[in-house]
Amino acid sequence: MLDPVYTVLSLIIIVPLALFLGVIYSFLIRKLSARFQWRVGPMFRMYSDLKPLLGTTRLLQPLYDILKLYGKETIVPDVSRRRLFVYSPYLSLIFAVTAILFIPFPGMPLLSGVPYSLIIASYLLIASTLFSILGPVASGSPWAAIGARREVELFLVSELGFVLSIFAVAIARQSLVIWDIANGGQSIYLALLTVAAGVLMLVAMLGKLHIKPFDMPEAEAEIVAGPYTEYSGKLLGTYYLTKVFILYGLVALFISLFLPPLATSVLWLPLYLLAALVLVFLLTAVQVLNPRYRIKNAINWYLKVVIPLGILNLIIALAIWLVV
Amino acid sequence: MGIIDKSRIYSPWLYHLHCGGCNGCDIETLAALAPRFDVERFGIQLVPSPRHADILLTTGCVPKQFIPMVKRIYEQVPEPKVVVAVGSCACGGSLFYDDAPDNYAILGHPDLLIPVDVYVPGCAPKPEAVINGVVQGILKLAEKRTKK
Repeated sequence: MLDPVYTVLSLIIIVPLALFLGVIYSFLIRKLSARFQWRVGPMFRMYSDLKPLLGTTRLLQPLYDILKLYGKETIVPDVSRRRLFVYSPYLSLIFAVTAILFIPFPGMPLLSGVPYSLIIASYLLIASTLFSILGPVASGSPWAAIGARREVELFLVSELGFVLSIFAVAIARQSLVIWDIANGGQSIYLALLTVAAGVLMLVAMLGKLHIKPFDMPEAEAEIVAGPYTEYSGKLLGTYYLTKVFILYGLVALFISLFLPPLATSVLWLPLYLLAALVLVFLLTAVQVLNPRYRIKNAINWYLKVVIPLGILNLIIALAIWLVV
Repeated sequence: MGIIDKSRIYSPWLYHLHCGGCNGCDIETLAALAPRFDVERFGIQLVPSPRHADILLTTGCVPKQFIPMVKRIYEQVPEPKVVVAVGSCACGGSLFYDDAPDNYAILGHPDLLIPVDVYVPGCAPKPEAVINGVVQGILKLAEKRTKK
């Protein structure tokens, strides 16, 4: 399994695979939220008379959006800090793609076996978010500034839940290597931790992916397009691409940390995809069932939920470590 | 036709520019975007910032106070772009703009300021007509690209 040639090959394969799966997940979020709202949403099969013009299927609709943005003119505002404005989306994308290399996929351990890979992956995900804040701040637009400020506040509280949940798992399984955690067995106590820490991680994912009660950073109709107001063309496309990769990365991290051993052997692939679908369904259900919080309420809610749940997680994890 | 040209047809994003209408056309336009007619079937989305848009959808006849904003918003939409004028006011000024325009407040139809590609007449046009206009706009968008 640790054959270097296989590792290099899988590192090359995982990037387009992650892009494809991320596109499918974000398509499903759009389609499912459309179905929840009694709309049709992007179509699986286009009407037969429109097929020559509009294509057979819209399964890759998020990818078409990104490709279209790459074909458009890119406007850089005069008042922006040009270098930071232009480079931040690309740095954000690079960090997101690098984070994906540390998260295992069924049949591909990738770099998840390196020491401290859990910490490396979470740091890379944080760095990606950091550059998605820095770019908008450099754009010089008041809407982007408001959006970025909200994003920072939301990021602080959602990151707390994220870190508490992954470290509870790390303590219980006595490992900071994602591959070891993903390879670990299950027991009743660990299943209890999976439920508690999984809920915490799901709550943190809501904030990180801007799912509905926590989408105030990019609240449309309120602060224009939030952080992305001044972005256009290729730079906006790069941010959308980053979002797709981060969606894939968080779903993959969730499965490999909380549902071992689904992310290890290639034989688990169907169950892995099923788990990913269920997770995406849960995220969509939360998105369509909730209106948007104000940032103050969101932070209060996060602190009320995350701190007790995080402490509970740590108690369970310590109990598993010391007793079992 | 390359994949980028195709994806331009597959995902046109609308920016709704309301310039001084009576709100009738806006209601019909939003009805076209709402669940009943759901244009997201074809990948059409309403975007909040003109910098993300492909299609600028204008309604109403332009008041004189609004001239700089209309020009500026048109310039903010990145190329290639298409302007769809919805409603009688946006097509020819309607009752606000006769042969001899002497209105102190109203300039007239947006074509006096920005190049309009598609006209959707009607007071107010039905959502079907708006969707048809947007589709004509998408075809123009594809044409614009292949010319270059």
